[in-house]
Order: sequence, then C-alpha cells, then structure tokens
Amino acid sequence: MSLLERISKNTQVKAWEGEFPVRYLYTYGIAAERFFRNIMERGTIVATRCALCDAIYVPPSIFCERCFERLEEWIDVGSIGTLHSFTICHLNRDGSRRDAPCLIGVVKIEGTEGALVHYLGEVEVKDVKIGMPMEAVFKNVEERTGSILDILYFRPVR
Amino acid sequence: MKMDVNLGGTPIREEDIKEKKVLYTEWIPKARYAWDAGVAIGRFLEELKNGRIIGTECQRCRRIMVPPRLFCELCYTPVNRWTYLGDRGRVRTFCMSRVRWDASRVEEPFFPSVIELDGGKKGTALFHVIRGVDLEHMKVGLRVKAVWKAPEERIGAITDIEYFIPE
Repeated sequence: MSLLERISKNTQVKAWEGEFPVRYLYTYGIAAERFFRNIMERGTIVATRCALCDAIYVPPSIFCERCFERLEEWIDVGSIGTLHSFTICHLNRDGSRRDAPCLIGVVKIEGTEGALVHYLGEVEVKDVKIGMPMEAVFKNVEERTGSILDILYFRPVR
Repeated sequence: MKMDVNLGGTPIREEDIKEKKVLYTEWIPKARYAWDAGVAIGRFLEELKNGRIIGTECQRCRRIMVPPRLFCELCYTPVNRWTYLGDRGRVRTFCMSRVRWDASRVEEPFFPSVIELDGGKKGTALFHVIRGVDLEHMKVGLRVKAVWKAPEERIGAITDIEYFIPE
C-alpha cells in the first residue's frame, strides 16, 4: 500500500478537537491587595518606596528588586504619568476584528520608575504621541470591584 | 516527623476568599485545541467508528503497533502494513482507580489497564478501562472483551469503545 493510498483513505478524521477545562482563582498577595484596595476605595495609585535605593515601585512590591530589603513605606503617587509606549489594537482577544481600533499604552507613573499597561481613551489614534502626559480615569466608586479595570483608561492631561 | 521550619509567606484560607476578605480574580480561559491526528491515528479513529481496531506491523521486526504508527521506533523504518486486531484480549497490567480524571470520586472503582489484543503479538496492547469486575477477580492474564457504543453513537474516538469487561 502506498503512502498516497493511505492518505486518500484518511479523509474523515483529521484532527481531534477539544477544550482544556481549566479555571483559576488568583489572589493578589499583600502588595497588590493594598494597591487594588486603594484604587477601589480611594481612587488613588499607591506605591512602595525603598529608602536605601531611592526607588519607588508601581505596582507596589513588598521587596526591593535591587537590595531585597523588605519595603514598609507606602506612598500615594497620584494618577498622572507619561505615555512610554503604545499600540493600536485592531483585534479582540479571541482574534475577531474590532469595529473600531483601540489604543493600549504603557503609562509611566510620575515620580516613580513603575508603569501601568492600560487602555488609552479620549484621544484619537492620529493624536496619540509617546511622551504625552496622561491621567487615570476611574470608574464611579460604587462600580469598582478591586480590579485594574476600576481604572477605565488613561487620557491626555487637559 | 514534625517540621519546625518557618517557610514564611502569608497564609490564606478558603473562607477569606468566600467571605471576600481578600481581592481576587477568577477566570476560565478558553483553551481550545485541535490536535492533528495524522495518517496513522486518523485511520485508527476512523476504524473505531466502524467498530474495528487497526494497527500497523513492522515488516522488519514483525511487531504490531496499536494505536498504529507509520514508523517503527525500534527499527527506525517506515511501516506500511495495516492489520486488524481483535476486540478481545488479556490484561497485561492494570491499576485500580477510585477517581475520575478530574480527581472527583467514583462510586465503583474501575481499572485503567493495558490490554494485549488477540491477533497481535507480545507487546501489542491498547490502553483502556476495564469495568464489571472487582479487585478480587481482577488479575493479569484475565480475558476481556470490548463493549462498543452503538454504531450511530460512534464518533471516531477511543471512547467509541466504552470499556472492556471480563469475557
């Protein structure tokens, strides 16, 4: 029997399709718990500071990445930053095409060395520029759930 | 042995989550896949739909492989002889399971087993489940036969054989 014959007889079952039934529940840990509670309850972005290294971490960490010191100093860092990078998204997460493209950017939070990845809003694709000052727009307090999406998006500072 | 080592960390209890004392994210990722069955397994699945078990025979070392493969990984030669096997055989090895694949408990234990099929050779064996037997009567060498789904229910899957039972 030749290879061609074998392939010609194998037309009905070609691929085995399935779905991995996986789910997860992710707890944020000490630092991110406090970070998201502050966003949820106060509408502020908080950071931890290492006095030894003079480094401010956003999102906060309970250890300094440089000297491994335990970080106890928490500070409000406001909700203003500069646009470090951005991308224009034409597809949804499932690969389907969006009606209108959306902007996703990395916003460096003012006075820190940290950054948040988030949607950019109230700005046209043609107007968006790296280096723009941006500010976080929060959901109404009663709608917040302790998620990064409690921030709706970052918009240019007016 | 009692461990006195303090591993650090912050313990979290299931109640903390239930009572929403801590924040969390829950998600069910949609992890779909399509696994290319290839020529040999494709034919194998197709034959299961027909109610038959097919393997391939290596023309060099004469062993029969099931599920079929298109090359013999011992001789490293292409294999091109198809051969049907019986749907009866004997238990080569087995274990007893009290849980399903998702670790949930089953009422009646079952036996995931390696079954040497009739018409094959030593080592020609299919991995499947044996039911309808208790641990006392389960043994290596036990004769078993396949219980097939009704033809219209078969889809070309290993589960077209529901399980094996003692002959």
